[in-house]
Amino acid sequence: MLKRINQRIAVVLFVISAGYLIMSYQLPSFAYTAVDADVIPKGLGYLLTMLSIVLYFSKNTETEEQKERRNIPKRDMGGLLTVGGMLFLYIWLFEIIGFVLMTSLFVFFCSLILGYKKHIINALVSIIFSISTYTIFVFLLKIQLPQGILPI
Amino acid sequence: MDALQGIMTGIQVALSVEGILFVLMGVFVGTFIGMLPGLGPISAIAIMIPITYGMAPTIALVMMAGVYYGAVFGGSTSSILLNAPGISGTVASSFDGYPMAQQGKAGKALAVAAISSFAGGTVSVVLLMLFAPVLASVAVSFGPPAYFALMLMGLTLISSLSECSTIKALISATIGFMVATIGLDGQTGTQRFTFGNPNLFEGIDFLVIALGLFALTEVCTLILNRKDQSLSQNKSIGSLKLSKSDVKEMSGPMSRHSFLGFILGILPGAGATIASFISYVTEKRISKKSHQFGKGSIKGLAAPEASNNAATSGAFVPLLSLGIPGSGTTAVMLGAFMVLGVQPGPLLMSDQPEIFWGIIASMYIGNIFLLIINLPLIPYIARILRIPRPLLISLVIMFSLIGVYSISFNPFDLYLLLICGVLGFVMRLFSFPAPPLILAFILGGMMEQSFRQSLTISNGNLMIFIENPISLALLIVALLSFLVPIIKYFISRKSEDSNETTSL
Repeated sequence: MLKRINQRIAVVLFVISAGYLIMSYQLPSFAYTAVDADVIPKGLGYLLTMLSIVLYFSKNTETEEQKERRNIPKRDMGGLLTVGGMLFLYIWLFEIIGFVLMTSLFVFFCSLILGYKKHIINALVSIIFSISTYTIFVFLLKIQLPQGILPI
Repeated sequence: MDALQGIMTGIQVALSVEGILFVLMGVFVGTFIGMLPGLGPISAIAIMIPITYGMAPTIALVMMAGVYYGAVFGGSTSSILLNAPGISGTVASSFDGYPMAQQGKAGKALAVAAISSFAGGTVSVVLLMLFAPVLASVAVSFGPPAYFALMLMGLTLISSLSECSTIKALISATIGFMVATIGLDGQTGTQRFTFGNPNLFEGIDFLVIALGLFALTEVCTLILNRKDQSLSQNKSIGSLKLSKSDVKEMSGPMSRHSFLGFILGILPGAGATIASFISYVTEKRISKKSHQFGKGSIKGLAAPEASNNAATSGAFVPLLSLGIPGSGTTAVMLGAFMVLGVQPGPLLMSDQPEIFWGIIASMYIGNIFLLIINLPLIPYIARILRIPRPLLISLVIMFSLIGVYSISFNPFDLYLLLICGVLGFVMRLFSFPAPPLILAFILGGMMEQSFRQSLTISNGNLMIFIENPISLALLIVALLSFLVPIIKYFISRKSEDSNETTSL
């Protein structure tokens, strides 16, 4: 039943559209509007339901090249997940520790993990990048970035 | 204000010291980002938006327009030198540009591309100047039903013209529209799909979607291909000089496709990518030396290059005069307008003529700058292609994060950005196109508003969409663009079935 990749995606989309529809029907209604807030969401929900059914029965028109894209070696997947994890850590900590420190660390370690071997250049780039961006945003554009534990 | 007076106002804006400085900065940064593999105008505009906070809207938008056509221009450099188009709009340029580079004529190819782009850009700015005011004066009379129909047509056209399957493109568009419904409803104040989370009350910012879906997704692809060493090759690009016969050869396609590209650029959903492909194919068909195409033909390079730049200005016609973007890139451009508090549309020309004409006039200057930057400086700028990929990846991630943080100062939006990046990557894996999603996301709010306004006018009667001749015509086009691929699909399936039975 779920042989083709399109059929699996279609099922996922069907579930999403069903969830969206259920939430649309729970929206409160107002008496004095010609078109209430739930009309468009309901319409979209049914549209996605319909499209997912069409996708389920449609033939796979993917080219070989498009299929090839899904062949990700495990090591590369690991690289992606590591960068994703680091990003998560960055977002979590950068308001506490501060923009300059966190950004320098992120750029340095992210480049390192992705295989950049020239450590001195890497360190220089990450520090200069974070300090110059901070300066441009805070002093020139007057957009506050988190200062964190550093005094400036 | 008539067009002549208008263009004078525009030239005043564009020739002010600030104007010149920021156009130069815009085209330079645009060329720079557009040249990077994978990063196109959408990422370039989105990354630059935070810089415009606090700037005068006119100057900021003049700069953003520069970023846009600069990025299209820059994309051709990586197409020619590396066969790695920065954006889909310059894929067709690599068909003949890359063979030329391999034959040691990279310099010549870059010169042909720069001059053709300049011609395409300049011709289309003149056309833009003529067309946009006319369309704007017609569009003033458009009511909500016509606007709704127009936007619906834009969405169905971009879906049916997409590179991937139409169904998948329509699904992308529907999801984009659904994401747009998150937040407080503008008319009734109802909370929709916010799960009680105050961070979602105002909806999701378009910059989160644009940077997540395009810049971060591109980062994922870059991470996977980071070991590709072609970027660090150090090759001489050869002489930039063109002979008289070269100029003669490129002048025909250059002028033809400046016009064709502009017209295709106006159409919603078409844009630079489709314009450049159509130009390449038509030029090949009418050329007497069609066998040279794909082997380094000057005509084969001049045609798509003139066309994609002309389409870029063409895409400004619906954006400036109707306030409706026809493509993913102009949708992000509309976002840039909104961030600055400028509402493009039929009233822009009369209410804020300095912005309307300033952008148009700045394009003349911007195109000249592009030619200046690209001809003598290209060998130096092309060194950017040698930035080590790991560093490039880290810096692009940081730019995206800063961009989002500086609009909301809220880490919640950064998590959303991360989610959008993952969504964009998954969509790419399963070949769902992203431009329909961002276009639907940006149009979603406007479409819902005009839909509800129409029905409020008609007291809930749906006939209002059919009674108005303009909206009826647009709806018919929308329906056709939707139905034709489906009918075609069933016809091809039937013929395949009959083939199978006969072969049995």
